[in-house]
Amino acid sequence: MNFLSLVGVEFKKIRRSKILLILATATIILWLPSIFNANINFEMQAEGISPENNFLIQGFMGMAWFMFPASMVVSTVLLNMTEKSNKGILKMLSLPINIAKLCMAKFVILLTLAAFQILMTVGMYFISAGIASQMQNYNFILHPLFVFKEAGLIFMAAIPMLAFFWLLSVCIQTPIFSIGIGLASIVPSVLMINTKIWFAYPMSYPFFVITAEYGKLASNLTTAQVEFIPWIPVAIGITMICSFISCLCFGQAERR
Amino acid sequence: MSISLECKKIKRTGFLPAFLGGSILAGAVPVINMAVRSEMYQTQQGNPIQILLGANWQMMAMLNVLLVVAGSCLLYHTEYADNAMQKMKSLPLRESSVFLDKVILTIFMSLFVLVIEAGTIAFCSYYWFEIGSGFLSELCKNFGYAFLLMLPCVILSLLISEACRNMWVSLGIGVVLIFTATMLPTDNFLLSLFPFATPFQMFAGADTEQVMRYIYSTAAEIVIFGLAQLIFIKIRRSFE
Repeated sequence: MNFLSLVGVEFKKIRRSKILLILATATIILWLPSIFNANINFEMQAEGISPENNFLIQGFMGMAWFMFPASMVVSTVLLNMTEKSNKGILKMLSLPINIAKLCMAKFVILLTLAAFQILMTVGMYFISAGIASQMQNYNFILHPLFVFKEAGLIFMAAIPMLAFFWLLSVCIQTPIFSIGIGLASIVPSVLMINTKIWFAYPMSYPFFVITAEYGKLASNLTTAQVEFIPWIPVAIGITMICSFISCLCFGQAERR
Repeated sequence: MSISLECKKIKRTGFLPAFLGGSILAGAVPVINMAVRSEMYQTQQGNPIQILLGANWQMMAMLNVLLVVAGSCLLYHTEYADNAMQKMKSLPLRESSVFLDKVILTIFMSLFVLVIEAGTIAFCSYYWFEIGSGFLSELCKNFGYAFLLMLPCVILSLLISEACRNMWVSLGIGVVLIFTATMLPTDNFLLSLFPFATPFQMFAGADTEQVMRYIYSTAAEIVIFGLAQLIFIKIRRSFE
């Protein structure tokens, strides 16, 4: 079985999971306050950011801080539980499939769900910016290329975090621990982005990247900027190590 | 008898260690914050509990709520995972009494979490500030209020977990609701009554009238969710 058809099989498994509904609800709730409080965007002279940029960045910051990482923890639970309930994993393990490939196929699904949620956020951004523009008589809609660039940055920065969450859900058999550690690790990311060792903490990457963008767009505000040199090697290292260990551990408990 | 049954069920699920770990983590927040930036807070005027809670309560409450949501998902996951719920239904037990037992268990664990947090707040006040007279009663009032405001969140998250057979659905709804709570404006009284938002409220710094309003509304929410659970079970049974 080649990798693509494995990914296809994994997609079929989560077809009726309602996960997209949950992810979509989160993105809708994310933009509602932005629509109602659209007038706040005009009071940002102190930061020196234009109203339309502020509208986008505040929404993305709300997403990158809690909603997106927490939804991804939920997605890892989904990927894990569909396999474990009714002992589906045993059937998969009995097939002549490379286990590491199966594990990576599931990780690809997680990445796709992440990309999907970010895309839905972007879609909702355009809808809510359109509504806010109508309400305030001011054009809030930014150029799509710029919006997609920011969204792409968040996605790229989230990959090490996703690899870590995937490692948690594969290696920790007790569901409450993998969920608990995953959710609890999101909370201190606000503190971590203010320290010098933020690059060692993958859960803070998406929020750090978007705060750095905020600093770039707001002329009177200086936020810590991304330094590629310790960050990129560390991020790649974390991703590689997490995926490697999760491939090794995948199905280990069932094979005993 | 059924409470002890619930306690036996959670034996190997990691429920107790998770609450223990979560409470230590939440309790560590003020200690770490004070250890790193003590001079910033020591220069502030006012009562030590108010300063400490003002600086750390948002994060501690967030951890508490996450813990309650994850714990309640797990409690019902053990029932639904291998169709244990069907066996429970065949026993001479009311379905609502199973729910009530789980509520009592989670409430007890949240109390445990809050006691540990109160302990670390007391430690921080003792170590970095002066402990004045009436400190203990102040501490009890603060954490008693926090405990009361956590109850609707406990009941509602258990109700969601009972309603959804799949763990990711209940966890997903819980996460979305917590996210909603963090997005709600804090100055609107009606919106701040949202059950997942009340645990973020603080006793210190609030006036008596506001505190009483929250206490009454929380009591009303508890009654409403309790009734909702009874009605929900009746309706679901008629469709099964």
